Amino acid sequence: MLIIDQLKKSDFKLQAVAMAVLAGMAVLLAGLWYLQVVRSDRYRANLQAQSVRTVRVPAIRGKILDRNGYALAENRPSYNVNLYLEELRDSFRHEYTNGVRKEFKLANPNVRLTRKIIDELERQARYRVVSNVLMHVSSAIQEPRLLVEQDFHIHYDQLRSLPLPLLKDLSKPQVALFVEQAGHVPSLALEPQAVRHYPYQHVAAHIVGHLQRDFYPVKDEDISFRFRLPDYVGRKGIEAAFDTELRGKAGVKAVLVNNLAYRESEHTPMPPEPGHNVVLTIDLWIQLAAEKALANAPFAKTKTREEVCGAVAVMDVNTGDIYALASSPSFDPNQFVTGFTNEEYKKMSDEDLRPMFNRAGYGTYPPGSSFKIIVALAGLEAGVIDTNAIYRNPGHYFIGRHRIDDTAPAGDYSFRRAFWRSSNSYFVEHGLRIGPEKIIEMARQFHLGEPTGLWPKQEAAGALPTPGELRKLDGSRWMPGDTGNLSIGHGELLVTPLQMAVLIAAVANGGTLLAPRLIERIEPQEKPEDSQIIQVSPRQVRGTVKLRPETLERVRQAMLDDTQNAEGTGRSARVDGLQIAGKTGTAKLTSGKKESITWFVSYAPFDNPRYAVVVVVEGGASGSLTCAPVARDIYKEILKRDPGILQKAPSEAHAPETGSKQVVAGTARRQIGNPID
Amino acid sequence: MFEAHLNQRERQIEWPLWLAIALLMAIGVAFIYSATSVYDTMGIWQRFRRGSLTSFLSWLVHQSYSKQVLAYLLGIGAAAVFSLIDYGRLARWSLVLYWLSIVLLVAVLSPHIGTEYYGARRWFDLGFYDFQPSEFAKLAFLLAMANFLSRPEDELRAPSIFFKGLGMMLLPFLLIVKEPDLGSAIVILPSGLVMMFVAGVPPAFLKRLMGTGIVLVGLILVDVLFAPPGWRIPMEEYQRERLLVYFGKDFAPRNATAAERQRARERQLSKTYNVEQALISVGSGGLTGKGWRQGTQNTLGYLPRGVAHNDFIFSVIAEEKGFLGSATLIVLYTVILFTGIKIAGQARDRLGKLLAIGIVTMLFSHVFINIGMNIRIMPVTGIPLPLLSYGGTSVLCSLVAAGILQSIYIYRRSY
Repeated sequence: MLIIDQLKKSDFKLQAVAMAVLAGMAVLLAGLWYLQVVRSDRYRANLQAQSVRTVRVPAIRGKILDRNGYALAENRPSYNVNLYLEELRDSFRHEYTNGVRKEFKLANPNVRLTRKIIDELERQARYRVVSNVLMHVSSAIQEPRLLVEQDFHIHYDQLRSLPLPLLKDLSKPQVALFVEQAGHVPSLALEPQAVRHYPYQHVAAHIVGHLQRDFYPVKDEDISFRFRLPDYVGRKGIEAAFDTELRGKAGVKAVLVNNLAYRESEHTPMPPEPGHNVVLTIDLWIQLAAEKALANAPFAKTKTREEVCGAVAVMDVNTGDIYALASSPSFDPNQFVTGFTNEEYKKMSDEDLRPMFNRAGYGTYPPGSSFKIIVALAGLEAGVIDTNAIYRNPGHYFIGRHRIDDTAPAGDYSFRRAFWRSSNSYFVEHGLRIGPEKIIEMARQFHLGEPTGLWPKQEAAGALPTPGELRKLDGSRWMPGDTGNLSIGHGELLVTPLQMAVLIAAVANGGTLLAPRLIERIEPQEKPEDSQIIQVSPRQVRGTVKLRPETLERVRQAMLDDTQNAEGTGRSARVDGLQIAGKTGTAKLTSGKKESITWFVSYAPFDNPRYAVVVVVEGGASGSLTCAPVARDIYKEILKRDPGILQKAPSEAHAPETGSKQVVAGTARRQIGNPID
Repeated sequence: MFEAHLNQRERQIEWPLWLAIALLMAIGVAFIYSATSVYDTMGIWQRFRRGSLTSFLSWLVHQSYSKQVLAYLLGIGAAAVFSLIDYGRLARWSLVLYWLSIVLLVAVLSPHIGTEYYGARRWFDLGFYDFQPSEFAKLAFLLAMANFLSRPEDELRAPSIFFKGLGMMLLPFLLIVKEPDLGSAIVILPSGLVMMFVAGVPPAFLKRLMGTGIVLVGLILVDVLFAPPGWRIPMEEYQRERLLVYFGKDFAPRNATAAERQRARERQLSKTYNVEQALISVGSGGLTGKGWRQGTQNTLGYLPRGVAHNDFIFSVIAEEKGFLGSATLIVLYTVILFTGIKIAGQARDRLGKLLAIGIVTMLFSHVFINIGMNIRIMPVTGIPLPLLSYGGTSVLCSLVAAGILQSIYIYRRSY
């Protein structure tokens, strides 16, 4: 009995122990279940956060092409040498123990190595190793290069898992030298990187625009990247307006790092999607001709200014396609990628030349005598101008005591003669009779004073008084003298070259006001299928000018006279075999620097209009002497490029061009020669 | 005679115990290999084919996993010996062993004999192995305590006996704390207490002891966590910090300057580092784990190289084999522990029963504290996971303990 009792008692105690053990194991199991199953995601996220570095990899930027496929902006490979730090870990350690630490102990035998001293010595050792590598590579490529110590330490501390960019943009011979003499070094890698390149440099630079280094995350990217590889954002022109399309979608590279933040391996869970190409309506040949002609404009350079300041717009009068849009002086967008020299930067920020300023879209100028087209239209439409009547021009005109000079000599003037000689007296006389309201109303029909809607960022509205409540631009009261000034395109009126091109196109095509069209289409870089091509801006009509056909016909005839008549102010624009209708303009600026704005606005061919060419030059001698020859040179190139315009029936000539093929930029350059010469 | 014949035909080897031990040993080798081989540039096979046989062997014997295999073999041999020796005979030597272990514990503290690693003096450097006397002391303590408590139950009611037992418990405890090795020391207490409980020490004594203990521990904790520096009991700074880490307290005193606070935070980050990394390892393992040798926490070095294969081997297994793997470990340990309790129940005498229950409690304490620290329900203490953690002495002692259990089983009914 005693034994049984004992057993029972002990059994109870053993049972208690067993229960306690079981409970303990159950607690462990529950804890493990909670950690490994219930909260596993959280720890996986922690793991990711500490051992994976996400790197933003920019996509290959789309090209900007002209209508024939010549690249105005493309990408070239830049050969960089990158140093992979994790490969140097042994060297760092070796240099520390056998170099830096030994030297330190020799120099300071009694100093105890504290953590702080060790850290500093290790820094020194690392820099020494890396600068030795750099020295080796520099001597290999035969060009001394320097690594700023501070830069290296910053890279090591913050971007350890990314390779250190050691050398940038090696030349071809340097690449060969590197491969031959340093290509075997395991920590070094020669890696190409796409760099934005503008093969025609300053050509069409204002349209193409430029880039800027982008350090900030794009808003709609939902991944917060630990690191970002260098990327660029469009700041001006097409590069800016179509930045999203050109840029494509950045990819993600995931770098696995160890506890010392060195790279272990990497993979690309999301490769970048290349950006789209933007095809412009620009015709590079005409653009080149326009820029060349503008640069060579006669009587346009002064002692203080060695470069022509001005703009050219060439537009299709039937579709609104912009063939050329030149602004001088221009800039080289490549410099925004590769960097400026001091001299270049000084030139870029010249207050007088303002190379960054797009005069074709932003330049607002008084139209001068070229505005007489509007006055003539208004006068003829109102019946004030009688084409058969003769006006006796005394050679000047008085409004009150205000004298307006006339460049046309005194004598008898019909409407046509007054137009081709650009008689101020005639137009002031008739302008006063027409009245400002009607002139302004006509100008409004041509949408002067408002943007043409070319692209979102690059044009000014100009200025036009509001009919009904006539005020000067500064708000003061309207005087009869102002009407006189308005009649000859001075005073309270400012237009852009682009607006004038739209105006001339409307005169040429019978009164249809078109929106200028600059973007032909947007398409993927690789073999675009039809479905992937985005037509951005179809032909867009902004309005129709209400005019009697004979009114328009008379003004067109007068414009033709301007170039064809031996007395015509635009006679120097004449091109053999091509009938050009045009009007010169010379506006004297009264405020600011005493300077003139000279114009030549025109279209051709006369019978079958296709091209509108507008030239403006700041400080030219006159529209006749400075601008008409510029237009002539452009028309010559147009004739060379498009000889068919002389024969083509209107319907064929105006058919939209389809299926323009992309031409390899290299061949393009060969055909054109070096456009910079 | 007839009965004796029956006895002989009865099962002599406790198979579930040895099966579980064998599996744990296999897992141990596999994951010590996983935890340490990531730093090796070449695989075993590659080395075998490239070098000569002798150079390969001399390389191999220095690998942690081969040393562990050696310890396992040695341990199995020792276990075989101990399982054949009648534990009763062993118990007769228990006092000698106990005092020998005390001498060793004192010796290891003296600077000329003990070897110091990481600021703790715990080892004798024997050349090939570092011998850890505290492991041996735990075993010796179990034998001596079981022997001491196996006297008739009536005697245990005498307070003098109770206090003597308490003294036997506290002597090695304090010596091991002094090393310092709080983890190894602390497992002595539950073993001793449970043995007293099972032996039949009056519950009133135990209750009072537990009460005093709780109050003492509470006071120490309050002192560590809240007391100003001048009032603190002398304690190793790292132990204080471990406790602070466990209770999530700031290292910096309340009136610290910003710079001090910054420094304290940095120190705290580095202290909490192991625990945090172990947690991430275990948690990120998920249900099924990342696969053998695929755990990134270990391969990328986030789990410090120094602890991954010993104190934190569990987190390596948990990361690579997931919840299924860690649950398997729990099951294997539970099998061992319950077999032990069963053996205790079948023991032929009080000595066997107490010895078995002491071994079970000690094993349990190791498992619970080690895994508990990996999943942050226990503070970090340097305590091995029996049979899995790298470490010769620990493996040897665990297997000897298993051998003693087997011995108790074999001699269960020879009365």
